[in-house]
Amino acid sequence: MMMKEWLSKIGNKGKDPDKDKQAPASQDTTCPFTDNLHFNLECLKQEIGHNWDVHFREFNLGRTGIRSVIIFVDGLSDKDLIDKHIMPSLMVDFSAEYKQNLPYLKGSISKEFIKNEVLSISEIEAVRSIKELASKVLTGSTALLIDGSLDALLLGTAKHKTRAIEEPVSEALVRGPRVGFTESLSDNTSFLRCSGEIENLSLVKFQVGKRSKKDLVVAYIKDIVDPELVQEVENRIKKIDIDSVPESGYVEQLIEDNYLSPFPQVQNTERPDRVVAALMEGRVAILLDGTPFVLIVPVTLSMMLQSPEDYYERWIPGTFIRMLRYLAAILALFTPSLYIAFISFHSGLIPTKLAISIIGTRSGVPFPALIEALFMEIAIEILREAGLRLPKPIGPAMGIVGGLIIGEAAVQAGIVSPVLVIVVALTAISSFSIPHYSIGITLRMLRFPAMICAATFGLYGVILFFLLMTSHLVKLKSFGVPYLSPAVPYRLSEWKDLMVRMPLMMMKRRPKMLHTKNPIRKG
Amino acid sequence: MKQSHSNTHPLFISLSVLLFLSLTGCWSSHEIEEQSLGIGLAFDKAKQSSIEKKLNEQGGAYSKRNLITTTYQFITPQVASSTTKQSGPQQKSYVNVSETGDSMHQMVRELSLRSEQPVTAHHMKVVVIGENLARSYKLEQLLDQNLRESELRPSCLVLISKGRASNTLETKKAGEIPAFRLAGIVENAYRTTRILPPMSHIKVESKIKSGSSFLMQKVLSADGQVKFAGAAVIDGKTHKMTGTLNEEELEGVTWITGKGKGGVVKSFDKETGQPIVYEIETMKSSIIPHVKRDSISFDVNIESVGRLSENWVVSAGTFKNEFLKNAEKSSEEEVKRLVGNVLEKMQKEYKADVAGFGNRLRIEHPKVWNKVKKDWDQRFSEAPINYDVKLTINDYGTTGGSKK
Repeated sequence: MMMKEWLSKIGNKGKDPDKDKQAPASQDTTCPFTDNLHFNLECLKQEIGHNWDVHFREFNLGRTGIRSVIIFVDGLSDKDLIDKHIMPSLMVDFSAEYKQNLPYLKGSISKEFIKNEVLSISEIEAVRSIKELASKVLTGSTALLIDGSLDALLLGTAKHKTRAIEEPVSEALVRGPRVGFTESLSDNTSFLRCSGEIENLSLVKFQVGKRSKKDLVVAYIKDIVDPELVQEVENRIKKIDIDSVPESGYVEQLIEDNYLSPFPQVQNTERPDRVVAALMEGRVAILLDGTPFVLIVPVTLSMMLQSPEDYYERWIPGTFIRMLRYLAAILALFTPSLYIAFISFHSGLIPTKLAISIIGTRSGVPFPALIEALFMEIAIEILREAGLRLPKPIGPAMGIVGGLIIGEAAVQAGIVSPVLVIVVALTAISSFSIPHYSIGITLRMLRFPAMICAATFGLYGVILFFLLMTSHLVKLKSFGVPYLSPAVPYRLSEWKDLMVRMPLMMMKRRPKMLHTKNPIRKG
Repeated sequence: MKQSHSNTHPLFISLSVLLFLSLTGCWSSHEIEEQSLGIGLAFDKAKQSSIEKKLNEQGGAYSKRNLITTTYQFITPQVASSTTKQSGPQQKSYVNVSETGDSMHQMVRELSLRSEQPVTAHHMKVVVIGENLARSYKLEQLLDQNLRESELRPSCLVLISKGRASNTLETKKAGEIPAFRLAGIVENAYRTTRILPPMSHIKVESKIKSGSSFLMQKVLSADGQVKFAGAAVIDGKTHKMTGTLNEEELEGVTWITGKGKGGVVKSFDKETGQPIVYEIETMKSSIIPHVKRDSISFDVNIESVGRLSENWVVSAGTFKNEFLKNAEKSSEEEVKRLVGNVLEKMQKEYKADVAGFGNRLRIEHPKVWNKVKKDWDQRFSEAPINYDVKLTINDYGTTGGSKK
C-alpha cells in the first residue's frame, strides 16, 4: 500500500495540488498566498527562514511605495544576475516608466505585467503555494513577492557549480574523444545533444528521492528504441522509493533485475561517446544529476568486455584486442583455481619437467596450495584497495613495496612458491585489463569461490563452478534481454560483434535482441 | 512476508551448497610436493640389493617368492629442490630403489613403507625389461599391472635391455636423469634408421592381442652409459623374446616398413673402394601381397629420395650425372644387402614376421588371411619375397669436383 501511494505522489508531482490539499497534515504548509505581503512573508520565514543562507531582501517597487521582497539562497543563485538585471528593473526602470500611473498602480500589479513588461530574464514562473515556492528557492531560484499580489514569481537564477570537462578517469582510451561526463545534469544532456544532431533524441525528466529530490533523465532515440523497453525503464524508475539517491549506483541497484547476482546488469560509463553508441543501438541511457556516471540498459556480458576503441581502431587490431580481453577474463577468473587443482589433485597433468621444478620450489612451503593461494590473493586485494586510498605521491612507492617486496620476501621466507607469485600477478594484471571496473571486480571476487571449489574437488570442482556460474548467467536477464545473448540464445548473425569485431562494412544491422523499430544501421 | 521468503530462498540454497562443500573435505587431494614422481621402471631377474638383504635379516619380509627385482627411478621433492636451486646439481638428481618379490603392485606398495613420499606413476617415461626376464616370462604378465591401472600412461615406452635392466637407469653424469635420457633417444629417429618407432605400452598391448610377432627396441648399458642397439624379436604365440636383430638388421626392417624418417646409407665406390654416403630425405615402401591359389608371395618396392652427403672419391666430379647414377647404384646395392640380410634372418632363423607382411595381406586379402593367420609365422617363412630398391639423389650438397 505504502509503495503505491508513493508512486502516485512521485508521478504527479507538481501537477496535482488538489490531492495535496486533501491530505490534512500538509494543509498548513501548502497554504496559498494571501494578498498580504507581511503575512506571506511570515509564512515563508517559518518554512525556510531559519536557514542562514536564505536571504530576504525587502524593497519598494520603484518609487511607488509598494513593498516587495525577493528571496534567494546565497551561493545557489546567481547574485550577479540579481544585482544587474532583476533589482535595477524593479527599483529603477519600473519607477521611471510608470510614475504617472502611480495612484492606480497598487493592487493592479499582476504577474502578467511584471512578466511581460518589467523583468528581462528568460525563466519566470508563477506559483501559488508556499511549499512549492520554498522548495524552488532552496534549489537556486529567486522568489519575488509583491504586496497585494495573490501569486509569487519564481525567477530562474539557479547557477550550479560545475567543473571543467576532463578525460574520464575510469575509462581512459588511447584513441577517442577526451570528454567525460561531469556532475551537472544539464552539461551531461548537452554532451548528448552536442555529439552530432541526433534525430529524435528524447530526454524525459523524472525526479527521484523522497527527501532529497534529484533530477533524472531517461534518454533514448524515439524512432529506434523499443517502446516497451522505455515503458519498462520508466516503470522501474517510478517505483524507486528511497530517501535520497546520492549516485547513479543507487538507481542501478534499485532497478536491476536480480539483486542477488554477482554480475552487474546495468552498465555505467563516464564516456558520452559510449552512451551515444548505445542509444544508436536502441538502448536506453539514464542520467542522474550530481554524478558523472551514466547508466545504460539493457546490457549483455559481451558489452562489459568491450571498449569503444574496438570500434575506433581498425577491425583487425580491434578483434585481436577483444579476444585478448576474453582470454584475460578467463585468466582472472580461473588461474588461481587451476593452480590449486593441478598442485593438489592432478600432478599428473603437469608436464614432467615443469612438475619437477614446481616440486622443487614448493618442497619447503608448509601450507597446502589453497592456503598459500588465498594468502597471496588476499594480500594483493588488500594492496589494490590500499593503492586506491593512498595519496597520489605515495601510491607508486607503495605499489613497489607491496608487489615486489612482499612477493619476493614471501618466496624467500618459503611461505609461498615462486610459481604462485606468477599466478597471482597474472590474475591481477588480467583483471585490470578488463575495461569495466564493475565486471572486473566481479571476476576478481568470483575467483575465491572458484578456488574453494578447486581445493575441494580439483578440476572437477572448477568445472562444477563453471557450470554453476554459466547456468546462472544463462538465466540472468537485463531488462528482458538475456545476459549472454547473442551466444545464448544463439544468433549467429550477431556473432559479428561478439568475440570478433568484424569490419564496419559488415555490421549493417542493429542488435536483434533489442527489438528495435528500425533495424538498419548502415546502408 | 511472502516476498521476504522468496528472497531468502536462493541465499538458503547457496548456504547449503557451501556447507556441502565443507562436509566433503578435500577428496583425493595429494599435494604435489608430498609425492615422488616415478619416471622409470626396470624389471630384472631377482637379485636382492644389499639394503634389502639387511632389512630382511631384521625381519622386514613377507610371504613371497623372490622372482623379480623391480627398480624404481623417481624424483623425490628433496632431490627436485636441490636440482632447481641456483647452485646447480652436485649429486645425483634421481633416486633408484629396488624391491624384490613376485607381484608388481605389492612391490610398489612396499615402497610406501620405506619413504614418506609415495611414488606416483603419472609421469612414468620408460619401462625397461631385462633380456633374461623377457625370455622367460610372457610380456603380458610382466606388463599386466601397468596396463591395468589407469595411473600409468599408455604412452609410456617399453624397452628391452641386453644386460640387467636396472643398469640402464644409472648414470655417472651429474644432473642427468637416466629415464629421460632413454625416452629422449627415441626422439632421434629422424637422424638414423637404427631406431624403431617408439613402442609404447598401448602398442605392445595391441601387438600382444593381435597375436603377431613384433620387434622391441633393445638398449645396452656399460659404465652408466647406454646405447640403443638392435631389436628384440617377440614371438607372436608365446609373447616371449626369442631372438635379437643387430643394428644392421634393424636397419633392414626399417627399409622394408618404410617408416624411417632419416638416416644414412654408406656404400663403397666400385672403382676406388672409397666410401660414399647417401642421406635419406624421404623413404617410401610398399609391400604388395600376391595370392595364387595356395601360394602367397610378396613384392617389396622401396623408394627413397635423398642427397649425397659425403663422398671420399676425390677424383669424381659430383656434378656429373654419371657419377651420381653410380652412387645411386651402389647405395641401392647396400640397401638391398640390408633388406636381403634381414629377410633371410626373419624367414629362416626366427620364422617370425616382424615387418608387417601379414598386416598387408590382412588388408588386401582378408579371406586368405583368415585362413592362414593361425600359423602365419610358419607360412611367412616359406613365402617368396621379391624386393626392389630405387634411390634418387636429388642434391649433391654445396661442393663439387675440381676444375680440369
